[in-house]
Amino acid sequence: MRRIVSSLAIATTAVLVTAGCSAGSGGSSGIDKSAPDKLSGTVSLWHFFSDQNADVMKQVVASFEKKYPDVKVELHDGQDDTKVQKAISAGQPIDVAVSSSSQPVGSFCSSGAFRDLQPFIDRDKVDLDDIPPAVRDYTQYKGKRCTLPMLADSTGMFYNTDLFKAAGIASPPKTLEELEADGLALTKYNPDGSIRQLGFNPLIDFYENGVGHWQPMINGTFLNADGTSAIGGSDAWKKLITWQKAYVDRIGYAKLRAFTSGLGQESQASNAFFTGQVAITIDGEWRVGKITKMKPGLPYATAPSPVMDGVGKYGASSITGNVAGIGRGSKVPELAWALLKYLTTDTAVQVELGNGVSNIPTLTSALKSPDLKVSPVYKTFVVGAADPHTVTFPATPDGAAYLQTFQKAWADYQEKGGDVNAFTANLDITIDNASKLAGP
Amino acid sequence: MTRPSRRGIEARRRMVALSMLAPTLTGLLLFFGYPLVASVFYSFTRYNQLQAPQFVGLLNYRFMVTADPQIFTAARNTLWFVVVLVPARIVCALMLAGLLARAKTAVGFWRTVFYLPALVPPVASVVAFVFLFNPGTGPVNHVLSWLGIKGPLWFNDPAWSKPSLVLLGVWVMGDMMIIFLAALLDVPRELYEASSLDGANGVQQVRHVTLPTISPVLGFAAATGVIAALQYFTEAAIASQVASGKITVGGGSGTDLGYPGSSLMTYTQLLYQHGFANFQFGYASAMAVVLFLTTALVLVLVMRRIAVFRPENNS
Amino acid sequence: MTSRVHSSRPLLWVAEHTALVVLGVATVVPVVFVVLTSLMTSDQALSATIVPHPFSWDNYTHIFTQLPVARWFGNSAQYAVLATTFMLASSIPAAYALSQVRFRGANLIFTLIIVTMLLPPQVTAVPKYVLFSRLHLTGTLWPLILPNLLGDAFSIFLLRQFFLTIPKEYADAARIDGCGEWGVLRRVIVPMARPGIASAAIFLFFSSWNDYYGPLVYASENERWWPIAYGLATFRGQHGSDWSLTMALTVVIMVPVVVIFFFAQKAFVEGISLTGVKG
Repeated sequence: MRRIVSSLAIATTAVLVTAGCSAGSGGSSGIDKSAPDKLSGTVSLWHFFSDQNADVMKQVVASFEKKYPDVKVELHDGQDDTKVQKAISAGQPIDVAVSSSSQPVGSFCSSGAFRDLQPFIDRDKVDLDDIPPAVRDYTQYKGKRCTLPMLADSTGMFYNTDLFKAAGIASPPKTLEELEADGLALTKYNPDGSIRQLGFNPLIDFYENGVGHWQPMINGTFLNADGTSAIGGSDAWKKLITWQKAYVDRIGYAKLRAFTSGLGQESQASNAFFTGQVAITIDGEWRVGKITKMKPGLPYATAPSPVMDGVGKYGASSITGNVAGIGRGSKVPELAWALLKYLTTDTAVQVELGNGVSNIPTLTSALKSPDLKVSPVYKTFVVGAADPHTVTFPATPDGAAYLQTFQKAWADYQEKGGDVNAFTANLDITIDNASKLAGP
Repeated sequence: MTRPSRRGIEARRRMVALSMLAPTLTGLLLFFGYPLVASVFYSFTRYNQLQAPQFVGLLNYRFMVTADPQIFTAARNTLWFVVVLVPARIVCALMLAGLLARAKTAVGFWRTVFYLPALVPPVASVVAFVFLFNPGTGPVNHVLSWLGIKGPLWFNDPAWSKPSLVLLGVWVMGDMMIIFLAALLDVPRELYEASSLDGANGVQQVRHVTLPTISPVLGFAAATGVIAALQYFTEAAIASQVASGKITVGGGSGTDLGYPGSSLMTYTQLLYQHGFANFQFGYASAMAVVLFLTTALVLVLVMRRIAVFRPENNS
Repeated sequence: MTSRVHSSRPLLWVAEHTALVVLGVATVVPVVFVVLTSLMTSDQALSATIVPHPFSWDNYTHIFTQLPVARWFGNSAQYAVLATTFMLASSIPAAYALSQVRFRGANLIFTLIIVTMLLPPQVTAVPKYVLFSRLHLTGTLWPLILPNLLGDAFSIFLLRQFFLTIPKEYADAARIDGCGEWGVLRRVIVPMARPGIASAAIFLFFSSWNDYYGPLVYASENERWWPIAYGLATFRGQHGSDWSLTMALTVVIMVPVVVIFFFAQKAFVEGISLTGVKG
């Protein structure tokens, strides 16, 4: 027994010792006073793109290497946020990392996983005003700029024009009342009562539906200025939840669920909007590129997301996007900064990337560039991205976990129902507790 | 031999034995003792690996008990697997082993056939099952519809997702079946003959001879089964990922954790999510401590009852 | 439960064998479906047809030309072979000491090993992860391979079960002949316990080969270290692929396991029986 006790004591000491030191050194340790004249060496770039989009990245990187012939870029594709954070925590020298969403900005900035970019920006006098305000907002956390935007996604409505014509609907819905009326008119049933074709799928967990993408419908906010949940105190959210629940109930939750489970994969040619099984969807601009590739003949058009009458601002979208930063363990920060600057602040590169992966460029100059390919269906999203009422979701140290919490709770509520005030009040408590757990 | 020299031999033998065990003892300390203590320590901290752990007292435990919206669902789901999956596998494996023990023809062949699914890598068997049971397009519902039955949504319906995994669990029960078969074949024939003479019929023989004789093996299967169910991870995680059709690269878990509708979110998946997706090492450690206590309780209840775990078999 | 039923009750015999055949078919059918689907085009895999028309090997060509399957296999093989070799080096002596040598403290050590074997790996996951990331070993499979040098609890348990079946008299005789403990282990026990050692090796080999959780925690961020099981799990997400392709990959993963099983069937069955029965 004494032996166990003493070994436990040794183990405890070991914990305290290892816990004391945190991974890697780094932070914003000194940078050169002026940008180096000549760059050489190898710099690693971790990004989440895969397949054709990864090829676009390859091309852009090739032109970077042409500009700096002595620099070699090592590409790691298909890397999601979790992996990037794992690698950075473990002290792997990641130079530039591109994350697919702004959700980790809070944790990456506050923990120092990404280094502060301000010294570089000040030194090289980079003009951040070329970045639209909402985008500038989601790429920093509490005033600390540790990421720059590299392309963004904005949301809008897709609708099947053939089905609209067949149902005699002349123009796309602009309000939620119209959306519901059109959606129900476009819904067809099988003889056994099951759904054959759905006008609009109100399930909050269907494809790209979700609290973030529905936010423009009510010009909603998630957090108060002090970081606590704003949902329970918001009549707008309650109205939206009530509207959605009533819509679900009009068709029937079980029917909707059965129909939804039988639908194809969102990212594939079997996507229910491509097949005409669903007539109206809320989705992002990237779907335009997918349709061009996978279902070229699809008769469709796009419009801003419908909004709740008198609450939402018609024309606004929900915007978020890829963020790029420099890992704390980077041994070649100057190379990393050069690459990051090239990817995020060069108008021509932004246009090339935007065209290549069909995402929204994050520079106003690129959005206005005549070289940016903007088809009529794509224009909705470019205009939506620049709308003054366009919303985004704020970063938190737990990676904007409130989005998931809200989403999961709503998914539960749409099935079970109940008092919406009690539901949102509980949700507030859950979210606030979780952010206490995550810390400031 | 005089006493001191005998003691000397014993001491030397002990030294040799300990030297043979030295790597293992180091391993126990490094990968068991230390992590266990460290888990307890981390469970009182907020820790994301990028900054030093910050002491937060009972915050993690308080959050777990009073505020975590998911943990009770996760615990309930895990308990469901303990209560349904484990007995289902045992009963099916036992009946199959009984069948094989009676049928004397080609036992080796049948044993191979029934064991094969257990060999298939779990990831592969789950992917295959989700495909086979896919509502709109999978062969199972096609076959059912030819029989005039409207198949359920299987892995896409919260009410059917867990039973679907039980089907998978029964399909891969071969290892358990082999243990039972060996035990059944070990039951001395004299016992049956004696009870026959006493006028026992088949059912009575099973109750009064077979089951009591193989009960240690059943106990072993139940104990290891419960412990395996408490850590049920891979099958549920992959089933959610594949069935949701919205997998993120790298997988494991994410927004589709427990799809459909949290029905497959097990305790260990939630622990993984907190620890290795959200990097809340403090909270994940608190969950680990609770898991440890639960497993330890099971161990205390069963350890002494199961022959093969008893160290007395040592000599 | 003996052959006496054979002659006396033919009806029962027929019923039992019918049940066996039905269950056997039910066991094999899923695999047949998987193989058939792997030979279909992607559109066909979504339709109600069961038999591919025409048989198409394209999925397999695609897998071997478009995916890093060779690297996945290589990683799995490296993980499984090294883990097994290291385990044998560390666990055979440990199991010997716990079964053939009488010494004070053996019971405590054995109990600790059993507890380690039964505890869920998640209990110690976080500190182990932190430990290995301090050693800069995360992002590789080494955190799953190296610990085997320091003994694997289940293997020690299984090996000990085998060693216990060898009567102590053999070891004692060798000791009287002047063998030290290491000599007894090498000259007497290892040769006699070959089948047992084979089963322990095969078990660890397969559990490493099939492992998903370990690589998920330690190697998910580094594609270069992905083993085959992890590759399959991420495959559908990353390549937006279709079912027939996925099934082809599933078949490719099953084949080596089944082949090895047919060569080592005896060791398998003995090993499994011993975990629960004897001792």
